[in-house]
This record gives sequence, structure tokens and C-alpha cells, in this order.
Amino acid sequence: MTNNLAPTYQRLFGSYWVLWYKTSNSYSVVDDNFKHLLYDYLECVSLDNFKSQVASINPSLDADAIAKNIQSYLEQCNVEQSSESDLSSAFNPLKRKHSKKYNFKNNVFEVYYDSELVQKTIHPSIAHLETTDTGTATVVYDIYIENNMLCLFKNEALVKTVPKRDYHIIQGKFAMELLSFIHNRVESDWLGTFHGSTIADGKNSILFIGHSGKGKSTLCALLTANGFELVADDVSPMLGSDSHIYHNPSAISIKEGAFNVLRPLIPNFNSIPDVLFNKTKGVIKYVPCNNPSVSNYPCKAIIMVNYSAGSDTKLELMSIKEVLETLIPESWLSPNPNHAETFLNWLSATPVYKLTYSSTKNVTQEITNCFIQFGNH
Amino acid sequence: MNKDNNTDKITRKDAIKKMGKYAALTAVGTFVILNPLKAQSSSVPPDPGGNPLTGD
Repeated sequence: MTNNLAPTYQRLFGSYWVLWYKTSNSYSVVDDNFKHLLYDYLECVSLDNFKSQVASINPSLDADAIAKNIQSYLEQCNVEQSSESDLSSAFNPLKRKHSKKYNFKNNVFEVYYDSELVQKTIHPSIAHLETTDTGTATVVYDIYIENNMLCLFKNEALVKTVPKRDYHIIQGKFAMELLSFIHNRVESDWLGTFHGSTIADGKNSILFIGHSGKGKSTLCALLTANGFELVADDVSPMLGSDSHIYHNPSAISIKEGAFNVLRPLIPNFNSIPDVLFNKTKGVIKYVPCNNPSVSNYPCKAIIMVNYSAGSDTKLELMSIKEVLETLIPESWLSPNPNHAETFLNWLSATPVYKLTYSSTKNVTQEITNCFIQFGNH
Repeated sequence: MNKDNNTDKITRKDAIKKMGKYAALTAVGTFVILNPLKAQSSSVPPDPGGNPLTGD
């Protein structure tokens, strides 16, 4: 009937359907009844036809209201994505006040900042890559504030400009630029960047998700201190062509609350500088990790982390609804239909769990068991 | 509304049984619509009051 509003993809996960709408790049999680009702509506030749179908089941049903609700749902799922409207901004070389050069596996890049404050938005997480090499950088980035806008340039061409209160967008965009640069990719190759941290055992990886403050980064620092490899902290990028998670070389950001737990486990913890940038976030230490043995891993499970003081270590299966409610609103996902389909295919093959923990010893054992179990499938 | 919960449950259960999927629209939690971020972002958007770039 209104097939132009129909979802592009549909997948069944246990008792839920996940529907993807191309126009809005939105994912809708619905139960089985609703999914069938939706398709009854979409497949009817006319509105009258649908209403008479409803009436034939039970004349007391309010067919008008049902049709109206479905139509309203479909419209909500088809709100067009507003295109990014970056203001144009000419490159200003006079803003080059501070320069830092970085080297990641012989990929040398340079970043100019206009102030120490702006430098604090990017530099601490990649400070371990800083180099004193005098060689030429392949790529030069500039980050500065002009007219209350924070601007990111690559080789003197504007990449992104946002109001300075939205500096997290520039951090995200810079991370995307850096990932593309070091993995020799372009932005359109990436399926998405998940808000989560990824750990590998040398063969497979697990994506840890959860709202800020639930202990993702602390857990990952703990696991790397126990022999696991850190693939990515905070921003975990997945490539469209292989659904693997790729190495993000940014350091793990550790909040003050976790310092005591990690101090005995991480060598020279006290010598890692304290960074205070955002007062709300408090003091942070950026803990660098060794590079993983390879640059990317298949991701075999999603685990939602929930640190809870005094709790037993517990790993429970979770519904796709709970996982997507946490993962999707905090992640960037490419609107490319091929990528959306690949994402759904990967989700279909990936078990999802919720991990509650407080004991660092027990949780390491639990994750070791997970890798053994998922590696055998 | 001070409805008797038990009565309500029975009525609701019966209704769903009779109407099957047509009751779906009146049930709670039948659907959610989730939108990913439109731009890449780092962890947490700064809370008001904590952003040093704006001096708020």
C-alpha cells in the first residue's frame, strides 16, 4: 500500500525483528506481532482493504486508529536524514601556534594546534605516538578555533567545523581521519565506529559496550595487563568489506575512580601524566598499550559491561533489543545500504551478553573462557 | 486511574488472545526506533559546565 515506506531490510533475532529503514538510516526493533501487523498493512492493496481485513477479525476493533498508528510509525521511521551542512571556512595559516609530529608504524603525520587548550582535545590520547623525527609528514592536520567554531583541516582543506561546545565531534572526526590514514582506507570504507572498546586474544576479538562510567575502559586496561591485546578503546571501527574491527592506536582513557585498581597492574602508572580537560569528566590518565599482533580481528561477541561493587561475576545472554538500545544511539553507522546489510549479517552471527563484575581476578578468567568458547565457533 | 490490576491483566490477556497481532499496537514496548549518530564522535558529549573551550 505504502511500500515506499517499507523497511529495506528485516532480520529475526530470537523474539524480535530488527528492521532497517534506508531513508532515515534508523533501526527499529519490533516484536513478532507488530512485524506481521506492519506487513499486513504494507501488503494491502488499499486502506479500505486493510480496514475490512481488521473488521473481519473482530468488528469491535478500531481499524481507523490501528491504520493511523501504523502510518505514524512508518512516517517516524522514514524521516529523511538531514545532510551535513558544514559552513565553508578558508584555511588560516596564522593559527599555527603549536606543532606536534606523530609516527605510527612509519606513517608520519603532523598536527598544528592554535592553543594549548585546543591541543588538549586531541594530543593526550595520541601523545605516545609523538616523534622528534624531522622527516616530512605525509599528512598535516590543523585544529583551531575561529569565530567560536572549532575547525579541522587536512592538508589545508576543511574537513569539519563545529561550534566549539561540540568538540567531541572534532575528536570523533579526527579519529576517523587517523584510522583511514593508518589503515590506508577512505571514510566510505568503514561500516561504522562503535562506541565501545575491543579486546583480542591474537585470533578473535570481543566488543565491550556500555554507557560511560560502566567500566569498559577499566576492564580493557585490566585485560591488557593480563595478556590480552587492546584493539580499540572508546571508538571501535568496523570495516565494511570484512566486518572486522581495526586497530585504533589511541590510548585507553582511565578516569580517576579506577586509578587504585590499575596502579599495581600497569607498569609506571604514576608516571603517566594526569590530564584535566573537561571538569565534569575529571582527571584522566591516557594509558598507551602495545600494538596488537595484527591490525584487525573478526569480532565474535558483544558484551555489555556493568561494573557493580561487591557483585559476583555473572555473564548472561541479552536480548538484541537491549544491546541495540545501548549501541546504536552512541555509535556512528554508515547510511550505505550495503554497510547496513553487512552490519545486520554480523549481528545475526554474533552472540550478545551482559557482564556484571567487581572482582578483577574472576572477570579475567570469565573473559578467558569467553575467548575459548567463541573461538571454537 | 485506580484500576484493579488483576482484572486488568485478565481482560488484557483475553483481548490479546482474541485479537492477536491487532492488539500489538496497544501493547507497551512493541517497537523502538533507534537512530545512530549522524557524525563520528568521541565518548561522551561534554556536559554543560564542564567544557573548557566555551568557558561555561
